[in-house]
Amino acid sequence: MSSASPVTDSSFQAEVLESDVPVLVDFWAPWCGPCRMVAPVVDEISEQYEGQIKVVKLNTDENPQVASQYGIRSIPTLMIFKGGQRVDMVVGAVPKTTLANTLEKYL
Amino acid sequence: MTTSTDQDKNLESMKNFAEQYAKRTDTYFCSDPSVTAVVIEGLARHKEELGSPLCPCRHYEDKEAEVKNAFWNCPCVPMRERKECHCMLFITPDNEFADDKQDIDLELIKEVRDSMKN
Repeated sequence: MSSASPVTDSSFQAEVLESDVPVLVDFWAPWCGPCRMVAPVVDEISEQYEGQIKVVKLNTDENPQVASQYGIRSIPTLMIFKGGQRVDMVVGAVPKTTLANTLEKYL
Repeated sequence: MTTSTDQDKNLESMKNFAEQYAKRTDTYFCSDPSVTAVVIEGLARHKEELGSPLCPCRHYEDKEAEVKNAFWNCPCVPMRERKECHCMLFITPDNEFADDKQDIDLELIKEVRDSMKN
């Protein structure tokens, strides 16, 4: 949903797990209403933390493998990865401050 | 092969369901009507593909099994029991995202749907 760059089942390893900086992954689906609301928040975060983190999005309909691997249930789910590990997540259309506060812990 | 007329009929019946259910439960649509539009479209698609309007704001390992399980068939158990719709289709009036509307224009749903084709 966001202008964050898309990742797929096949690019997830290289783009997310092998990233040198922490990665915020927006797990979204096309017909998910709150995904539309969180997308601009994710974009703002991407601008605010440019250079410090990478921000990507994964369409769970098209990439069920990664979504299942990380136990995605409710969408949107925003997950933070650092050093190849999932370190935190927030679920739902959260305000920007909630997301920023969660991210700050991993910078 | 489903014809476009069937699809439209399906969409319209899902829109009617959403409007009636909102009125019956004293819940409201989102202040951003495109949120309501995509969810209704998503429910209609699941109804068409799976026979039941499975929640479009969840990821499932096995959609057919979930339909049988029925927990996330709209209106889902959390909605029926506690008026909790994490999809933001049915919003309680105390929520900051609640509009005062319980109706949505079918044409708007189609516009939003068409805007997502690419």
